Formats: sequence, structure tokens, C-alpha cells
Amino acid sequence: MPRRKLRNVLITGVTGTVGRHLAGHLLNLKQIGKVFGVAHIDRPYYFKEFDKKRFLYRKRDILKYRELNNLFRSDAFKAAEIDTVVHLAFLSSPNDQSSGVHRLNVEGTKYLLDRCIESRQIKKFVFKSSDAVYKLRPHNPVHLDEQADLNFDPDADQWIKDRVDADMLCRSRMDNKSMKIVVLRFSNIIGRGVGGQFNAYFDDKMLFAPMGFNPLLNLIHMRDVLQALALAVFKNAKGVYNIAGLDTAPVRTIAELAGARVVPLPEPLLGPVNRLERAFGLTRYYYQVDADRQKYTGLLDDSRARKQLGYKPTARVQFD
Amino acid sequence: MNAKQRQWAWRLAEKMLAPNIVERLRSLPIRDLGFGYDAYGYEKESAVLGYCFGHTLYRYYFRCESRGHERVPSKGPAILAGNHSGVIPMDAAMVWMDLITRPSKPILLRAVVDNFSGFLPWLGTVFWRCGQIVGARRNFEDLLTDKEIIGVFPEGTKGVGKPFRLRYQLQNFNVGFVELALRYRAPIIPLAIVGPEEQAPMLYNIKPIARMFNFPYFPVTPLFPALGPLGMVPMPVKYFIEYGEPIHVYEDYGPEIIEERPGKVQQLADQVRLAVQDRVDRMVEERTGVFTGGLSVEMGG
Repeated sequence: MPRRKLRNVLITGVTGTVGRHLAGHLLNLKQIGKVFGVAHIDRPYYFKEFDKKRFLYRKRDILKYRELNNLFRSDAFKAAEIDTVVHLAFLSSPNDQSSGVHRLNVEGTKYLLDRCIESRQIKKFVFKSSDAVYKLRPHNPVHLDEQADLNFDPDADQWIKDRVDADMLCRSRMDNKSMKIVVLRFSNIIGRGVGGQFNAYFDDKMLFAPMGFNPLLNLIHMRDVLQALALAVFKNAKGVYNIAGLDTAPVRTIAELAGARVVPLPEPLLGPVNRLERAFGLTRYYYQVDADRQKYTGLLDDSRARKQLGYKPTARVQFD
Repeated sequence: MNAKQRQWAWRLAEKMLAPNIVERLRSLPIRDLGFGYDAYGYEKESAVLGYCFGHTLYRYYFRCESRGHERVPSKGPAILAGNHSGVIPMDAAMVWMDLITRPSKPILLRAVVDNFSGFLPWLGTVFWRCGQIVGARRNFEDLLTDKEIIGVFPEGTKGVGKPFRLRYQLQNFNVGFVELALRYRAPIIPLAIVGPEEQAPMLYNIKPIARMFNFPYFPVTPLFPALGPLGMVPMPVKYFIEYGEPIHVYEDYGPEIIEERPGKVQQLADQVRLAVQDRVDRMVEERTGVFTGGLSVEMGG
């Protein structure tokens, strides 16, 4: 019987919480040969527990095209026979609005995509996107499928624009024949150490919310995030997929479960109050990015992912 | 709502309402996602509070009477298509109350509300919590797939904002609900409501002010703006509601006519409009008074 070919996966942004967990998750799977982690910092201590033969780590800045090129040409990379890339190198904190963030989020994605296509060695490219790319309005349907309008609002925050741009970059290259591109748009990932807006929001003990609004929010557990990313690696699929979790509830119900006190404020006050809070280091939450999501519901319809990837959320978010 | 608030809502219902109504409210269906809400934001306890508040309006203020409940199926997919009026429309809320109160089994109507409701703080949240939905096509499709009963007012704001001289003259129906009935094989139940046209007779629409505030209309009624915000309170007219014979448009036509024969779809929408108009005309003729009295033909009390 012919031996089934193992998948060898490159993970960018492997030092992030999702990257770290994904590397560990993939290394536990029999269908995975090697995992090649890339990030812009020195090898962190927590990778010590990984099998050195199967997990390789390189400090590389994917923003520097030459560094990226050298990585793809390196003996280690060639020997690892990488055939899949999971792109997680994305700065998730909206508090950092410097041009470097935009370059990493958008240009970094572009460089990596182009290099992967040129190499002809990479057969699958998985990009972790989020539900922040969708435009929310008071009259949009409750469930948003992959065809729903993206937020092309010129006044949108740069954080959102970066996400939409990176998402669009991936979509614009989906027609190429040498590499299958999968974009996974996750709902709000809740878990310790995970970036993301609502994670920061529910970490606070006192939350400010727009008066008279209480939209529904879907939360996804890290275990389901890993499940979806692994399915995207293995399944013979390409395209955009929404990935939602099991838990859906109004923002204030979740806040109460998280042990926070909600203070409703008139909407025009929320921006200035949030700016003040951030200036004093009282919150990591950035209201401007979520102004619409604090008012209108837009839940991800993940039926396509369930049908084509076999995704099925299993984990409920636990509140301490 | 948290657990305490939910208990409080039920206690209030037990104090305010008859035991059989509380039982009906308890038996309202909900596809709970785990936190007491469904995917559209509906929460049973909020609906209970909504009912407690609306009960006074339904029973004592508008003194709603209705007939034809047996024509409304207890399970969907089904579409109730009715006339819409009253400047500040209360008709949908009264039908929502009526379908919980009077059919043999209580029915939760998922009425479609205007898009601008979502803009408004509190109002939108109250609507969603009581099971109402915004008029996005995808919402309709999902609810019909889930075998729910949807209430639509195909005249839209044309009906609500029409001048008093056009009372009980139904405006053109949008065709979207017929398309959905064809696609999802849902019967259309004509819904006629008499009374709301007189609750706030619109004498004039000040269009420049409406445009300035992005409202669909800015009414001048006998009481508004003369009495200020108080003038917006509807007058205590008597409501009559009738559910008509279901129209099974999908029995004679398939969904392909939506693309191939749009004229036919418009004709079917007109057929529903005429069915509603016919019942409205009959009830207007039968009623013995606008504020008091009843119909010359008996209705359920």
C-alpha cells in the first residue's frame, strides 16, 4: 500500500496565541510531517516542548521581501518540503495605528502570497480573517454569508481597512491554478491571551455600551478555531468560509457572564470616553473599530464551512 | 435579561394577566441558542413584558376584536399579508397580541418592521426581543425555512403615511412576499385591519421637515403638532382584525415565474391586495362606530 504523503506546514505569526496553539495542534496529528514556524522575534521558550525533528523555527520578517525570498530558498525550508502555508502574521491590536502595522497586515500578506505562488511548491494557502470585514447596518440580515457586503467605507478605521484589504488580496489571487487559497473569517475568538476586540472588551470590569442597543454576538472557542484551521489545511477546498462558534447571546448578557458591569452611555459619548480610558491605560478595547458592531447584529452563517470543510463547532466558551 | 429579571417578568405577568394567558405565553415556542435568545434576538421573557404592556392597549384602549383565527396555521411556513396604517402604526403589535391571545394554540408572529427601526435606540431592541425582524430578504428565507409565520405589510410606509382622504384605500403591494411564497411554498393569509386609519388622521405631510430628519413622512394630524409630543398618542379607536382564506399561489405557479413572468407575480400580489381590500371594505361597512360599537356580523370577543 502506498504511504500517504504527510503535509508540511509553514505558519507565519507562530508566536501569537493562535499560532502557538495551532503548531501544537498540528504536531499532534498523524497526517502532519513538519511544522515550520516563522515570526519576527527570537525563538520563544514555549516551543521547547515541541519535537525538534518535526518543529522548526526561524526568525524572519515577512515584510522584507529579500528575507522572505531567502527563507523560501533556504536548505531547511526545501528539506522540510513545505506544501501548505497558514498565514497568521497579523497585528490584531487596533491601538497600534502606525504605518508599520498597515505594512505588516497588508503588504506582508501580499509579499507572502506572491512568493508562495511563485514558488510553485506551496499547494495550499490558509488565511485567518475575521468577521470585522463585513459592513454592518441596521437593515442587514441577521445572518451574513460569504457574499455579504464588505466594509469598504472610506471612513472606516484603518484596522478594518487592513483586514478588508488583506482579505481582498487573497480573494484576488484565488483563480491561480498552482495554489488553493482558503480564507477563514472567524467570529469573535474568546480565550486567554488571544487578541481581538471583544476579548479586550470583556476583560474590563466596567464596560461602556451604546444606550438602547444590545446586538447579538457570536463567540468562538479556540478549540473550534484550531479545528477550522486544520480542516482548511487538509480538505481539498478553496474559497472564503465563515467560521462561527456555538455561543450566541446579546453583548450585555455576555458581559454579565464575564463578570463585568455595563454602563450605557449616549452613543456620541462612547468615542471620547474610550479615548480617555485608553489614554489612562484602563482598557485595551478600541471603540471606534466596533462602533457598528456595538449597535447592529451580524452573525456569521457558517453553513458553507459545515458543508464543504466538515466544520462543526463543539466547544462552548467558559466564563470564569 | 438576567435570571432575576426573567423571574420578575413572569411574576408581573401572573399579576397582570389571566392564568390561561400566562399559560399561553409559557407555551410560546423559542429556538433557544443556550442563553434564552434565538438567532434573531427574540427572548420569551421580553415578549412577556411586551405582552403585559400591550395588553392594556389591546384589551382596554383599542378593544380589539377579531375573527378567522382558524385560517391561520399553527405552524409555518406561512405569510400574513395585511394593510398598514395609523401614522404611528400599532396594527402589527395588535395582530401580534391577537395571535397569542385568541387562536386555539398561541402563535408567535414574526412581523417585519421598517428598516429605520434598527437605527433607533430601544425601539429596535424591543422589536427584536419580541420576535420581530428587519425586512431583509435573508431573514425571510431563514424564517420560512424554519417554518415560522411571518407578518408583512406590503404597502410599506406608503400605507402608513397616506393622507386621511385615502383611508382604507390600499396602496400598491410590493411583490417580494409573493416571490417568497412561491419559493417556499407558503400560503398567504390576507390580513385586514380596520380602525387604525382613524387613530391619527393625517391631514398633511410636511415633506421638507420629513426630508430634513430623514423620516418617511412628517404628519399633521388634528392633535399633532398642536399638542406637541402628546399629539402623537393615537386616539382610542376600536380595532377589528380579520384573517382571510389562505391563498396558495404555489399550487398554480412555480418559482420559475419570478424570473420568467414578473408581470404574473405582480398580478398575484394584486390578487392578495384585492382580497385584503375586500375584507377591509366589508368590515368598514359592517362596523357600527369608529370609537365604540362593533360589527353587525358577530366577531370573537
